[in-house]
Amino acid sequence: MSSRMSVFTTVATTILFVGLSGCGYNDLQGLDEDTKAAWSEVVNQYQRRADLIPNLVATVKGYAAHEKDTLESVVQARAQATGIQVTPETLKDPAAFEKFQQAQAGLSSALGRLIAIAENYPNLKADQNFRDLQSQLEGTENRIAVARKRYIEKVAEYNKSVRFFPTNLTAKYILHMEEKPNFTVADEKAVAKPPEVKF
Amino acid sequence: MRFSQKSRRTGLFLALVSALTWTLASWALDVPPLTGRVVDLAHVLPAEIAASLTRDLDAHETKTSNQVVVLVLPSLDGDPLEEFSHRVASTWKLGRKGTDNGVLLLISLKDRKVRIEVGYGLEGTLTDLRSAHIIRNEIVPRFRTGDLPGGITAGTQAILGTIEGTYKADEVLPGHGRSSQEPTAFEYVIIGVIVGTLAGILLSHGLRHTRALLGSVLAFLVAQFASVGLGLAAAGVTALLLWLLLQANRGGGRRGGWGDGFTTGPGGGLGGSFGDGGGFSGGGGSFGGGGASGGW
Repeated sequence: MSSRMSVFTTVATTILFVGLSGCGYNDLQGLDEDTKAAWSEVVNQYQRRADLIPNLVATVKGYAAHEKDTLESVVQARAQATGIQVTPETLKDPAAFEKFQQAQAGLSSALGRLIAIAENYPNLKADQNFRDLQSQLEGTENRIAVARKRYIEKVAEYNKSVRFFPTNLTAKYILHMEEKPNFTVADEKAVAKPPEVKF
Repeated sequence: MRFSQKSRRTGLFLALVSALTWTLASWALDVPPLTGRVVDLAHVLPAEIAASLTRDLDAHETKTSNQVVVLVLPSLDGDPLEEFSHRVASTWKLGRKGTDNGVLLLISLKDRKVRIEVGYGLEGTLTDLRSAHIIRNEIVPRFRTGDLPGGITAGTQAILGTIEGTYKADEVLPGHGRSSQEPTAFEYVIIGVIVGTLAGILLSHGLRHTRALLGSVLAFLVAQFASVGLGLAAAGVTALLLWLLLQANRGGGRRGGWGDGFTTGPGGGLGGSFGDGGGFSGGGGSFGGGGASGGW
C-alpha cells in the first residue's frame, strides 16, 4: 500500500509542478515587473535629458539671445514634458501613455530646432561649454533610444504572454492583467535618430 | 517553485516566436566574431601595434576585470553608428555580468566615424562627456593627420587611464552578481536531484516496464521544465544512482544512504562564461547606450 501511495504522490507532485509552470502565473508576474523596470529606465533617461536643458538654454542665450522663439519653445516643451508624471501603474492607460509620448516628442523637436540654430553661430559652436552640453545631450538621446528599445521588447514579451493560450487565462481571470501600450513605430523612427553633431 | 519563473524560456511556442522576431529584425551589417581584444577588420594596425594593444588590454583586464575591446571596420554599410555599436557591444557582452564593466572603441574608416560605447558599470567614470573629450582631444586630432594607429593607441590608453581603479579583478567572483531572475546552475542541480529522487522512488517501487517508462517520462518532462541540460543530466544520474542503490539495498538488506544522491551535484563551474581557457570572450556585461560618438 505504501508503494501505491508513494507512486500516487509522485505523480500528483509532478502534475502540480507542471501545472504551475504551465499556467504562467509567476511568468506573468515576472514579465510585469520587467516592463515596469524597463519603463523606469525610460523615464529616468528622459529626466536626465530634461535636467540638461536649463544649462543648454542658458549657454545658447549667451550667444544668440535674440532667438527668443526657439529658446522659449524649448523651455515650454520642457515644462510640459516634466509636468506629466507617468508611474508604472498609470502605464496601463493608453491615453496617458500617448500624452507622455507626445510631450517628449514635442521636446525632442524643440531641441532639434535649438541645435539647428547653433549652426548659425560659429562662436556658440566653438564654445567649450556648449560642445560639452551637446555631447551630453547626444549621449542622453542615445540612452533614451536604447531604453525605449528595451521597453518595447519587454512589453512585446509581456503582451504575448497576456494574449497567448494558456497564459491568457491566468492573466485574464486570476491576475486581471491587460495588454500594455507600447511606443509607436513612427515615433520610434524619429527618436532612434540621435541629433547629428559634427565636430 | 523557483524554476517555474524560468519556464517561459522553455515555452517552445514563445521561443519560436521570438526566434522569428529576431530573424525579421535582422540588420544590414552582421556583428563580426569576437576574435580577440583588437579586431582590426580594416587592416590599419601594424601587427606589432595590435600585439602591444592586446597586451595592454589583457593586462588591464587581469588587474581590473574591465574588458576593453577595439574594433576597426572598413565601413558601416549604412547602419547608424550608435545602433550598430550598441549591437556589437551587447552581442559580445563585454564586461562582467553584474558589474557591466565593458568598453568598445569602434572605428569605421569609410564613414570616418568613431564611437566609445560604455557599459552600465563604467558610465559613472567614463561618462559621456569624458568619452567625448577622449574622442575630441586624443583620437580625432591624430586621425585627421592620417595617424590611425596613433589615434587608436592614444584613445585606448586614455580609456584605460580613465577606468583604472574602478573595479578590482577579484572584487566580483564569476557566477556572482547574476540577475536574481535566473536560477543558478546549482539550483538546477537541486531541482534535478529532486526530480531524480522522485523518479528513482518511482522506478524502485515497481520495476515493471510500464513503471520504469513512466518514471523516465516524468523525469524527462520535469527536467524539460527545469529547462537546462544540467537539470536533466542531474536527474538522470540521480535516478540511476538511486535506482542502483535501492536495488543493492533490496539485495543486501542495508538501509539508508539517501544523501548519496546529492553527491552528484557538481554545484558551480558552469555558470560563468569567464573561464580564461585561452580563447577570449565577453563576460556577460550589458550596455545602456552610454558613451560618445565623433567623426574626423
